[in-house]
Amino acid sequence: MSNTKTLMRFTGVGGQGVLLAGEIFAAAKIKTGGYGLKTATYTSQVRGGPTVVDIQLDDEEIYYPYANDGEISFMLSVADMSYKLFKNGVKLGGTIVIDPNLVHPTDEDRKKWKIYEIPIITIAKEEVGNVITQSVVALAIANTMTNAIDKQVLIDTMLSKVPAKVHDVNKKAYEFGEKYAKEVMAS
Amino acid sequence: MATREVISNGNELAAKAAIDAGCKFFAGYPLTPSSEVMHELSDLLPKIGGVAIQMEDEIGGICAVIGAAMTGQRALTATSGPGMSLKAENLGLAQMAEVPLVCINVMRGGPSTGLPTRVSQGDVLQAKNPSHGDYKSITLCAGSLAECYTETLRAFNLADRFMQPVIVLLDETIGHMHGKADIPTAEDAKAAIVPRKRFDGDPKDYFPYGVEHDEPAVLNPMFEGYRYHFTGLHHDKNGYPTEEIETCRKLIQRLEDKVELHKDELESYEEFMMDDAEVMIIAYGSVSLAAKESIRHLRKEGIKAGLFRPITIWPSPAEKVKEYTDKIKKVLVVELNIGQYHGEMQRAAARLDIAGLFKVNGRPISPYEIVNKVKEL
Repeated sequence: MSNTKTLMRFTGVGGQGVLLAGEIFAAAKIKTGGYGLKTATYTSQVRGGPTVVDIQLDDEEIYYPYANDGEISFMLSVADMSYKLFKNGVKLGGTIVIDPNLVHPTDEDRKKWKIYEIPIITIAKEEVGNVITQSVVALAIANTMTNAIDKQVLIDTMLSKVPAKVHDVNKKAYEFGEKYAKEVMAS
Repeated sequence: MATREVISNGNELAAKAAIDAGCKFFAGYPLTPSSEVMHELSDLLPKIGGVAIQMEDEIGGICAVIGAAMTGQRALTATSGPGMSLKAENLGLAQMAEVPLVCINVMRGGPSTGLPTRVSQGDVLQAKNPSHGDYKSITLCAGSLAECYTETLRAFNLADRFMQPVIVLLDETIGHMHGKADIPTAEDAKAAIVPRKRFDGDPKDYFPYGVEHDEPAVLNPMFEGYRYHFTGLHHDKNGYPTEEIETCRKLIQRLEDKVELHKDELESYEEFMMDDAEVMIIAYGSVSLAAKESIRHLRKEGIKAGLFRPITIWPSPAEKVKEYTDKIKKVLVVELNIGQYHGEMQRAAARLDIAGLFKVNGRPISPYEIVNKVKEL
């Protein structure tokens, strides 16, 4: 693996919209002159099947589009079944963010990885006021923790992919995600 | 060609290429993992005065495309393996009647409904002979996002040049992966369009199938006063059914020779770090991406591996393969099936000791699996 590469994995269940965050990350990295690639794996269930999105950001050309198991430095999960299926892709000592209302790591997991608990869905639903902004809350958390992309570039890219009428609510979602990420990292 | 940078997935890039190639008609039936081709064209085609139709099934899709192509339009259908099985009979009709069209197959696990959302390369041999009878398939296989665009573009030009269906194979990984692609500008793509031949003489002198032994039929658009008969039966120079011995033989031989004797116009492959290679990896489609990554690792460890990647997979670049396999002892074919192209590479190399790394569980082959296999050789 190249030294300049950032590997992230978002996992959830079909229908939660985790795919979009990956596309935003990839597009933002490309905007800054680098390479970004998103791949998604899902099942033939329309909704409810485990979904995983791999995001690779690099200054060098990326060939293989999937994250190799054991090389992922950051994972975010909002569904227990997907968490269990895909957690082992994260390297030892890597960071995992979970929604504690939906994902239940074992004590052993907590020894292997830095696990942060952020109630992503609740934040989107109650604090931002729109559950579909969860992918932007997740985007903000991931970027705050990995420092992968310049914040403004990422926000601009994100806004370019959503209708103008929901710009404000998505900006709000980003700010909440960033705030919670900083809080758990400081604690 | 001048290029532009786009951020997209493979399926949408293929759809974009169809538009820039002058395709005005799409008919098909949505099938994972190819559906985005249809979604995108349903959006784009009506905006340029074209037509996108969701038919009753995949068979209806190819039949409508044959009809559209006979009016002189460039026409496309897209599907996945199960849809290819349904389209097979009419792909044969288009081979026999010499109707140019493009058929994109975004491969998923098979046989039957298989693994709808998972990657596979299990349709490689099907692409060679989707239908019964003798004819020579032209099949292109995209190995990057940019090639989803450029190979679809090329497919339209080849269909019109050779007057037959051209299959573009993508796979689930290439079709769905999302990232940057540097593709030709729409202006350059349009400038590269080579329209199909037409006959401009007196209609009474028009014999669409009365062509040289290695040339394709010249089918003028229907409804313009040039009359001919269209059939899947063996036919004469006017297209009328015949059982006349020499006419029948010459027809089928011509379907073979129009491609076989002009393979040089079709050949396309990539050589990646092959100059000093002591290990030759042969891979195509998304697997070639894992192969390139594996070569980065292998070279760091001092193993001189290179990749030979067929882009036109049918007809296969057999002569070029043999040039390499005559010199290089260690040869490995990596593919997401149980050796469908491996057999062809053994034939090309005239060697039975070509190694294989195969996978058929719907999961991609990782670069490390290739690294480990190469070390075992």
